[in-house]
Amino acid sequence: MTTGELIRSARLRAGYSQKELAQRLGMASSSIARWETDTVEPGFSTLRRVLQACGFDIPPVLVAYERDPERDARIQEMRELTPQERMTRLLDRLDKPAR
Amino acid sequence: MSDPRFDPYEILQELGAVKTGFVLVGGLARVIHGSDETTRGLDLAPSLNKESLRRLGVALDKLQARRVDGQPLDLSDLDPQREPVIELQSDAGEIKIVLEPAGTRGYEDLRIRANREPLGQGVRPAVASPGDLVRMMEALDRQPDPLVLETMRRVLELDRRLTIER
Repeated sequence: MTTGELIRSARLRAGYSQKELAQRLGMASSSIARWETDTVEPGFSTLRRVLQACGFDIPPVLVAYERDPERDARIQEMRELTPQERMTRLLDRLDKPAR
Repeated sequence: MSDPRFDPYEILQELGAVKTGFVLVGGLARVIHGSDETTRGLDLAPSLNKESLRRLGVALDKLQARRVDGQPLDLSDLDPQREPVIELQSDAGEIKIVLEPAGTRGYEDLRIRANREPLGQGVRPAVASPGDLVRMMEALDRQPDPLVLETMRRVLELDRRLTIER
């Protein structure tokens, strides 16, 4: 779930329009719209304030997160390619018979 | 049996030639952003503007696209609620017309954050943003491939970091 979806979900569950939520927070409704579409991401304290205005909160719980170095290396490798090279790579793979 | 033909360049060239409005979504869009997955189809969210749909129809005719369910293809009467996805088979491969990709409000919603990506051979389609692609996967009725979803989340994270550092 993206931050925007979290905010939208909290707002809808609270039954507020974007304008109503913005009024409760004392800010422009365009800010809410930008957050909900993930165009702009609010900071953590702002996010909590927004959720609290809707009657929710994020429990500050830390859970272990392990990186997958192999996956990260594969992503890094892909990111170093241009979009065109990524397409070429896909088409090369499709041309090869399945093993 | 050999796999069906898939030539995304041919499809994109025909779509580009008629100047129809669409945003590329699905597996191919994710590959363009850096997902290391394999896909044999092209998914697009079309503009629902009448003239744009007419042009899309012209391109699909040229590609000899027909519905996989055997029904006639009629782009003049589309309804995302009634039929959210239209599956087509064309001479250049599978095409899915996704009127309202999961978790989004369709073309008008996606095009704001989409980028035109140069793919070579004269094609430069609008491709849905990594954030929207993640959102679509998370909103699917079925469970998305966790590896692909994690990869796209990581791509999104790296993209955001790049934006901040710029």
